[in-house]
Amino acid sequence: MSERIPGSPFSDLVVVELADTPAGEHTGKLMADAGATVIKVEPAEGATSRRTGPWLEGRPGADRSLSFWVYNTSKQSVVIDGPDPADGPLAALLDRADVVITTDGPARLAERGLTPEALVAGRPRLIVLSVSPFGLTGPWADYRTTDLVGLAAGGPLNSCGYDDHSIPPILPGGNQAFQNAASYATMSLLLALLQRQVDGLGQVVDVSMHEANAVSGELANPYYFYPKAVVQRQTARHAQPVPTQPALFPCADGYVYFALILGDLHLWKSLVAWMDAADLAADLVDPAYEDFAHRQAQFSHVQEVLEVFFLLHDADTLYLEGQARGLPVGPLRAFEDLPQDEHLRAREFFLEVPVATDEGERAALFPGAPFRFSAFEPQPSRPPRLGEHDVAVAGGGGDA
Amino acid sequence: MSNETVSDERTPVRRRGPLAGVRVTDFCWMGVGAVATRMLADFGAEVIRIEDRKRPDLPRRLPIYKGDVRAYGDEDPHPDPNKGGLFNNYNRNKVGITLNMRSDKGREIADRLIADSGIVTENFAPGVMERWGITWDHVTGLRPDAIFARMSGYGHDGPHHQFRSYGPVIQAVCGLSFNSGLPGREPSGWGMSYMDNQAAYYNAIALLMAIYRRNATGQGMEIDVSAVEAGINLLGPDLLDTLVNGRPSRRDDFPRGNRLEFPDAAPHGVYPAAGDDQWVAIAVTEDAEWKSLVGAMGDPAWASEDRFASMADRVANADALDALVGAWTSGRDKHDLMRELQAVGVAAGAVQNARDLVEVDPQVAARGTFFELDHPVIGPALFEGNPMTFSRTEQHTWRSAPLLGEDNTYVLRDILGMDEDEIARLAAEEII
Repeated sequence: MSERIPGSPFSDLVVVELADTPAGEHTGKLMADAGATVIKVEPAEGATSRRTGPWLEGRPGADRSLSFWVYNTSKQSVVIDGPDPADGPLAALLDRADVVITTDGPARLAERGLTPEALVAGRPRLIVLSVSPFGLTGPWADYRTTDLVGLAAGGPLNSCGYDDHSIPPILPGGNQAFQNAASYATMSLLLALLQRQVDGLGQVVDVSMHEANAVSGELANPYYFYPKAVVQRQTARHAQPVPTQPALFPCADGYVYFALILGDLHLWKSLVAWMDAADLAADLVDPAYEDFAHRQAQFSHVQEVLEVFFLLHDADTLYLEGQARGLPVGPLRAFEDLPQDEHLRAREFFLEVPVATDEGERAALFPGAPFRFSAFEPQPSRPPRLGEHDVAVAGGGGDA
Repeated sequence: MSNETVSDERTPVRRRGPLAGVRVTDFCWMGVGAVATRMLADFGAEVIRIEDRKRPDLPRRLPIYKGDVRAYGDEDPHPDPNKGGLFNNYNRNKVGITLNMRSDKGREIADRLIADSGIVTENFAPGVMERWGITWDHVTGLRPDAIFARMSGYGHDGPHHQFRSYGPVIQAVCGLSFNSGLPGREPSGWGMSYMDNQAAYYNAIALLMAIYRRNATGQGMEIDVSAVEAGINLLGPDLLDTLVNGRPSRRDDFPRGNRLEFPDAAPHGVYPAAGDDQWVAIAVTEDAEWKSLVGAMGDPAWASEDRFASMADRVANADALDALVGAWTSGRDKHDLMRELQAVGVAAGAVQNARDLVEVDPQVAARGTFFELDHPVIGPALFEGNPMTFSRTEQHTWRSAPLLGEDNTYVLRDILGMDEDEIARLAAEEII
């Protein structure tokens, strides 16, 4: 077997992916980018993500979906209609697989004959990783979900939105309900693989997207567990039991995030020196402000002077100069800003990945791996065309 | 997760689980570090947290106390380091010692622990570990098969690697904050340090991969995780739309608030429910769901108007549709709406707060997502468990978070073999 990622501990690992949500697909992608052979089993019309935009150059097509590309790098694709774990091509795949990933709820899995019990039957080393909307048991197990519904029921959405509560909570972008599930699914899979290193046996792992979101709200649960406080959403800053000062500032060409921690005199002096260098510190240079109580008493005035200072500078200047002075300023980067970022360029983070479309090969810029190892280098390679590996996989090869 | 009985005994016990026998010298702090190593501790690793008596971990100082409501950042000037709920939540199943790393003797003890454990984890600002002499070369000198996991905002090289970062700054810099909000107004961003959790998860993934590889090959590795880079990996299809198609994200209809561009979905939004600031999310992506929703609403006349006939019609008239759906939901209980709509196959979810998750949510209750442990200072408290169950692997929960320096004797005597006199001397010299 060829080693697509030299030094990877997963080069001999075969993962069969019956996943049809970003939660399962991103889990498969993380393993595939790290060197595992991930064989995506698709129906003839392709996985749901292939039928979801945005599209390459805006034109739909099974091999033109950016939703598919982003979650399915480094995989193989085989078409199996009506997959049967006991017979035929899926059974043959599972017989040589180490891991199988599913994403349906229990009723749908039963309807398709793809329950964990059916998948694992006669395959004691197989790890069945289920990443379902609510988990395979419990009263909500067969409820439907989406990204929005998942973040709502799981709790994170309650913390996100604007100070103005006549506006509903606002969905953070990018399928994050599924991403919380994918993170836990990947950790769970690795724990099951570590267990198998100890005793040679597979098992069934039941990951619940709902619970993954329910434990990913940061301060929200501890605030209820301990002082019994319920946090309230606030614009672009931590939801809190009580309102706090704004931390999002308009600047000349966008917005920056800066939370002024009044109690830190060192940061205060850095901030005032910076504003003074631009002749915009106004009366904040008055030594009276070195007293914490005075700063607290004058807080809204301080905030107003700061607003003017930020408004007169662009985001990059505020970021680079503020950080050079030790101030935690963050520019709200739009996506088109990211490939230009000098730090990301120096780390060669974005990389060109060849992609195969219905019009032939081309290169596309992808984000690089989310972790760097000295021993091997996970990285994305191209997503497969629909059914691209039918012959290779059916022939028992399975190599890209 | 397993619901075994937890003994009142606080002395470290032999750990069970797939990571039993793995030991970690853990310099991690704050949420992003502690959540990563909590995953190891939950599944059998002996995670030894190194703490500084003079600079207690921020979650020890943050006033998230029973019966005492304050805002984040509104610190107690004289905090009891054993009272912090956030620290307890992040550090269960870990062993805790205090060590003065500014002293030669403290660093020497750290070296002995590193040589014994072979795994070092840290998430300080770049430069701190170097100041203590704990570099990759140094660590591999102590243990040729060492795993050295470094977590930071920007990674350990590159022109901005020393920039100050915490969750909201990372989310701004990686694009996740810009990605969230109503079109035509300021971004609403995130109401939490989302990237503290996600970067912690990615760090745990990296550590588990490294341990798996070391088990197979006997070789260690250095790990460099940048929270900014992990965050960019979470931006999804919209990022590729910009990178591949050149479509800017700075445009009039982006971000999209609670609506989707792909796939077509309408109604798709967060609608008012009965009570103050209570909401329900409804996401209709198929015609069958629309028919079910109309039925659940009692077949109102407006729902059969031509402007709502097809998905394309509903998307085109989403403003009017949202107002009409919202008029139906308002005044109804958010959990009743969720149950009634889910019963007819419509994806709907109450916008649940933490109180709902703990007191109302029957799924969380049935799955045992949260569990209780006692703590000598705090008393019984709930913990966020792990959102998965294994048919064979055990989560070994044996103790709530360590008190400051609680396990000094266990670690110095039982692991490093020091005698009581030596330990007493270290305490007198403020090394521990």
